[in-house]
Amino acid sequence: MNAVLSTREYLAAMWNRREFAIEVPLQQLRTTHQTTLLGNVWHLGNPLLFVAVYYLIFGVIFEVNRGVDHFLLWLTMGVFAFQLTSKTVLGGANAITSNTGLIRAIKFPRALLPVSVVISQLLSFGIEIGLLIAMVLLGGVGFSRRWLLLPFVLIAHTALNLGGALIAARLNDTFKDIQQIIPFVFRLLMYLSGVMFPLERILSGLDGRPWLVTVFSLNPLARIIDLYRWVLLGTTLTGGYLVAAAAIPFLVLWFGFRYFKAVEWRYGRA
Amino acid sequence: MSESLAISVRDLYLDYEIYEDRRAAILERLVKREGTGRRLVRALKGVTFDVAMGESVGIIGSNGSGKSTLMSAIAGLLPPTSGDILVSDEPKLLGVGATLMLGANGYTNIRIGLLALGMSSDEVDILTPEIAEFTGLGEALDRPFKTYSSGMRARLHFAIATSVRPRILLIDEALSVGDQAFKHKSRERIDSLLEEAGTLLFVSHSLNEVSAMCSRVIWLEQGRLKADGPPDRVISKYEAFAG
Repeated sequence: MNAVLSTREYLAAMWNRREFAIEVPLQQLRTTHQTTLLGNVWHLGNPLLFVAVYYLIFGVIFEVNRGVDHFLLWLTMGVFAFQLTSKTVLGGANAITSNTGLIRAIKFPRALLPVSVVISQLLSFGIEIGLLIAMVLLGGVGFSRRWLLLPFVLIAHTALNLGGALIAARLNDTFKDIQQIIPFVFRLLMYLSGVMFPLERILSGLDGRPWLVTVFSLNPLARIIDLYRWVLLGTTLTGGYLVAAAAIPFLVLWFGFRYFKAVEWRYGRA
Repeated sequence: MSESLAISVRDLYLDYEIYEDRRAAILERLVKREGTGRRLVRALKGVTFDVAMGESVGIIGSNGSGKSTLMSAIAGLLPPTSGDILVSDEPKLLGVGATLMLGANGYTNIRIGLLALGMSSDEVDILTPEIAEFTGLGEALDRPFKTYSSGMRARLHFAIATSVRPRILLIDEALSVGDQAFKHKSRERIDSLLEEAGTLLFVSHSLNEVSAMCSRVIWLEQGRLKADGPPDRVISKYEAFAG
């Protein structure tokens, strides 16, 4: 009875409580910006301000937009997709440590907490994608049949984010220092994922070190951002690494789930 | 485990690792070697007892005797270091100071608590008015949980945990913070659970309450079972010991 649940039993227990995993993020979404004057406007206002800042710096000042069609849309897509991952992983890091009350009161599969973070961020992202599609249509790029692939890109992206959130949740429960480090890891990743300028500009400087080019190119976040841009804007894809975009996120999720579940019993202990 | 048993605890040991130096603990996990800042606290040292279905057992003992650790272990929230705990059904634990979601109001806490217990949204909608009424919190249910007093928290938590009609209920001091009216109400509900062949483990420092509610008492001292038997006999032994 007190035995450790098998993966199947664990997933079944999670499925039984799926409404819990949706209710918690809805609740968080309602209370996140409650104390600010503009309230829910910040769900969109915050990422748009980031876009504005990067546009000013990279588009207007450094002019990296040369050679990039629809630079504003290109940049916005990159910022929204990148932030979905960074916010989810950072939220995942706090999923266990900020819910000790619930964990000590009720027995339930703890993985539901990182899952609820993922759902919470996806809800915000849904609004962002809606805005982006409106921008794409107004910006004159127009509808394409590629858009039908958007759900598949989103599934791979979500797998990557959930895997990252699960790993961060366990790491931060063990080493509270992780929370301090994650923002810097993502700042670095932002430059290495081609969010504000094309990744090829970095890679072309690494011609003498092909192994480094390979490592950078396998970055699943960069590849997923590529996919979004390809779907919505019709940019060219750096073909061979598509496999990385499709496979690595699911490997991260598989590892993250096992890594998180291995010390399930420890969460919430003082 | 025989069919009429609700809980069977066999030679249960439970250790806490206490790190006097948090950094030593982290380093130890990083490099996987025995550190110096670690101290082992043996909270339970070989506890064995059985509880039959329908029984209500009081657990008494000095502060730090291992009562709360035992309850958490039976609830499945703490894994035993060694020994076995068998239960016939999933126990529900009510502890003092239990918090759910601090920022959310009472109704949201009812909803999230019930969903975490595995109920469907429809069942939650059906049960919520009854739970809200039982708490007697009235308009306070619209306020954030963090504004509640410890008694109000206990009321809400008790109402949520007993609404699922648990077959095994573990109460750890949770009633001691309630007022008379709530104590009366909660006693009635516990009695009705016991009538349905429910099982109760009840930790309290109020020996009057224990002897009123329990048909048997277990006395824990320094992680060991010191006495187990009818309330009057065990309680008088304990009183003689505690002076």
